[in-house]
Amino acid sequence: MSNGRFIALACLVGAALVGASMFVTNEYYVFAAYFVLQYVVLATAWNILGGYVGYVNFGTTAFLAIGLYSAAALNKWLDLPIPVLIPIAGLLCGAVGLAMGYLTIRLRGVYFTIATLALSVVVQTFITNWEYVGGSRGLYVMRPSEIPVFGSYVAYLFFLMTVLAVAAVVTARVIERSTFGFGLAAIRDDETAAAASGVPVLRLKLIAAAVSGTFMGMAGAPLPFYLTYVEPTSSFSLAYTVNSVAMPLVGGTTSWLGPVIGAVLLGTMQQAMTVLISSSVNLLVVGVLLVIFVIAAPNGILGLIRSMGGKKADPEANPLAAMLVAEKRSSQ
Amino acid sequence: MRMFRLNGLRGVTLALSTMVAALYATNDAARAADPIKIGFGMQLTGPLAGNGKAALLGAQIWAEEVNKAGGLLGRQVELVAYDDQSNPGLVPGIYSKLLDVDKVDLLLSNNTNQTAPAMPTIIQHKRLIMGMFALAINEQFKYPGYFQIQPYGPNGKDSLTRGFFENAIAMNPKPTTVALVGADAEFSKNALEGARMQAKRLGLTVVYDKVYPPTTVNFTPVLKALQATSPDLVFVASYPSDTVGIIRTAHEINLEPKVFGGAMVGTQYAAIKQQLGEALNGIVSFEQYIPEPTVKFPGIEEMLKKYQAKAADVGVDALGYYVPAFVYSALQVLGEAVTKTGGVDQQKLISYIHENTFQTVVGDIKFGPDGEWVEPRMFAVQFRNIKGNDVQQFTQPGKEVIIFPPKYKSGDLVYPFTNAQKNAQN
Repeated sequence: MSNGRFIALACLVGAALVGASMFVTNEYYVFAAYFVLQYVVLATAWNILGGYVGYVNFGTTAFLAIGLYSAAALNKWLDLPIPVLIPIAGLLCGAVGLAMGYLTIRLRGVYFTIATLALSVVVQTFITNWEYVGGSRGLYVMRPSEIPVFGSYVAYLFFLMTVLAVAAVVTARVIERSTFGFGLAAIRDDETAAAASGVPVLRLKLIAAAVSGTFMGMAGAPLPFYLTYVEPTSSFSLAYTVNSVAMPLVGGTTSWLGPVIGAVLLGTMQQAMTVLISSSVNLLVVGVLLVIFVIAAPNGILGLIRSMGGKKADPEANPLAAMLVAEKRSSQ
Repeated sequence: MRMFRLNGLRGVTLALSTMVAALYATNDAARAADPIKIGFGMQLTGPLAGNGKAALLGAQIWAEEVNKAGGLLGRQVELVAYDDQSNPGLVPGIYSKLLDVDKVDLLLSNNTNQTAPAMPTIIQHKRLIMGMFALAINEQFKYPGYFQIQPYGPNGKDSLTRGFFENAIAMNPKPTTVALVGADAEFSKNALEGARMQAKRLGLTVVYDKVYPPTTVNFTPVLKALQATSPDLVFVASYPSDTVGIIRTAHEINLEPKVFGGAMVGTQYAAIKQQLGEALNGIVSFEQYIPEPTVKFPGIEEMLKKYQAKAADVGVDALGYYVPAFVYSALQVLGEAVTKTGGVDQQKLISYIHENTFQTVVGDIKFGPDGEWVEPRMFAVQFRNIKGNDVQQFTQPGKEVIIFPPKYKSGDLVYPFTNAQKNAQN
C-alpha cells in the first residue's frame, strides 16, 4: 500500500473513532479509549528509536512530563488552547530528544539505557524545584466541562489524542518504508557495518531520537487537562516507561503495527483489570507478558504471526534481547 | 347489572396500557429494592495503600452495621470500590465508570489531593462528593457539592500549626527563635507556610528554613545544620518515613530545643508509634482523634473496637484513630442525609448537608460554604509516658496529651524538650 493510501486509511480510521465517540453516551468508554490511544502514541514514539534503531530508551516519562509541564506552564502563563500547546510541547521535546541523543547516543546497549533513565531523574528534580508549576506541591489546571462542537470536554481530548495517534502511526509507517528507515534498520542490525557502508549513523540516530521525543512530548500536552491536577510523583510514574517499552515488545518492534497491537492489547487489558479485579495485578500482568514474549516470542505478536507463515524468528530483532546478547558478547 | 363491552381497538389499547403500567410498577418496586450504591476509588495499592486499606475497612464496618439495621430507606447499602493504585492518572476513568456504568447513588473520594482529577467529572454530573483527607481542593473548584471530612476547617495551614505555636509562645521565658524544616512535598510545604505565618504573627525570628528532598534517608546533615543555629523551637513538617528518620537522628545528635515537633505525618500511625516507642516522648505533633478523657464522642469506642478486632486480619493500622473513624463518620453524614431527605436526589442532599449539623463518631460536624468544617479541630498533642514498644498502651489516656485546642485540652505542654523526655522516664 502506498503512503498516500495508508494516510487516507489512517485518517478514515481516526475519523471513524471520533465519530463513534460522538455517539457514545457512556463517557467511561471515551475515558478508557483516551488511555489506550495515549499509549498508542507513546509506544509508537518509543518504537521509532527503540524498535527501528534498537536503542532501548527508558526516558519516556521525562519526555511525557516535559510535554505535560510545558503545556501546563504555557496554559498558566498565556492561556493558550491545547491545539497550540501540542506542537509547542512537541518542538520542545524534539529539541530535548536531539540534545539527549547528541550527549548519549554514542553510548550503546545498557549504557545508553541507563543514561535515558538518568534523564528522567534530572527532569523530575528540575520540575520538583520549579515553583511556577507548583514544584513538589503540584498545579491545578482548570478546564470547562463542555466545549462547542464536541459537547463534552473529554470527547474533545479524545479527538486530539486520536489526531496524535494517527499522526504518530503514519509517521512511523512512512519512516519504516523510507530510505531513512532502511538506514535505521541497518544501524539496528549492525552499527559498525552500517557506518562502513556509508550510512550516516550519528545523524540518523539523532533524527530518530528527536522524532521519538517529539511524539512523546505531544502525547503529554493534553494530559494536564485530562487530569486537572499534576504533581511530580505521579507525572514521573515508572508505569509510563514500563508500558511504552512493553507494548512494542509484545506487539512486535520491527513494524509500525506492533506498537499499535501492543498498546491496544495491554492498554485495554489494564483498563479492564482496573475495574474488574484488583489492579495491583496490572503491572504484574505487563511484566509476566513481557517475560513470556521476550523468551517465547522475541518478535512479538507480529513475529508469531509471521513464523506461522513459515518465516524464521530473529531473537535479536527484540531490542531488549539484542541488548542483553550484545552485553554478553562484549563481556566474553 | 351493566356489563362493559369493549370493542377490539379499545380493548387492545387498555390491555397494553395496563401491561405498561404494571411493568412500570414492577420496575419501581424493583428499584426500591435495589441497593443504594456508594462508589469510590481508593489507594489500595501503591505508596498510599496503608491509609487506603484502613479507609476501606472503616467504610465496610459502617455498611455492615447499616445493612444489619435494615439499610437506608429500606434499601441495602452496597460499596463499589476500585483500586486506583495511588495513581491520579487512573482516577478520572474510575469515577466515570462509577457514574456512567455502575450508576452509583453516592460518591466518596479517595484519600489526599489525588481526589482532584475526579472533580471535573463529578462537577459535570452535578454530583455530591464526600472528600477525604484532602487539603484545600475546593479553593480551586469552588463547587458547592464538595465536602471534606478532615477537621482542617477553612484554613488548613493555620489549623495544622496553631496548636504548636500557641503553646510554645506561652512558655516562660518566651521563645525568640524557631527553625523550620520539612519535606519538599505538598503537605509539608503547606504546613511550613502555616508555620511561617505563625512565626510572623508571634514575632519569632526564623533562624533556619529549609526543605529536604522527599527521598532523603540520612537526616544527620540536615539536623546538624539546624542544630548549629540553636533555635528555641524546632518545627518539622514531615512524611512518615522522614518522621522516623528525623526523630531517631534528633536523639542521636542530642538536639535539645525547648519544643520539638510540628506537623509530623506518621506519628498518627500505629506502626510508627510502635516502632518509635519511647523515642516519641516529649514530641509535639497533631492528631484528629485520641482517647483522652476530654474527648468523648458517642459511638467512637464501639466503632474502634470493631475496627481493631478486624485490623490485624486485614493487615491495616492497628488503632484506626486517624483514617477509619473519619471515613466512618463521612458515611454517617451521607446516611443521615439520605434518610432525612428521603432519597438520593443530589441537590437535596447537598442542601441538607450544608444546612445541618451532624452527630458522628468523631463529634459534631457542621460544613461551611467551602465544604470544610466550619470550626477547625486539629488536636496538638504531646507524647508522654511511653514505655517500651507496646502498641496497646496508646489505647490508654495520658500517652498523647492534648495541649490544643483549649476546649479539648487534657494537659499542659511540658518543656523544655529534655524535661518532657526525662519526666517520661520517671
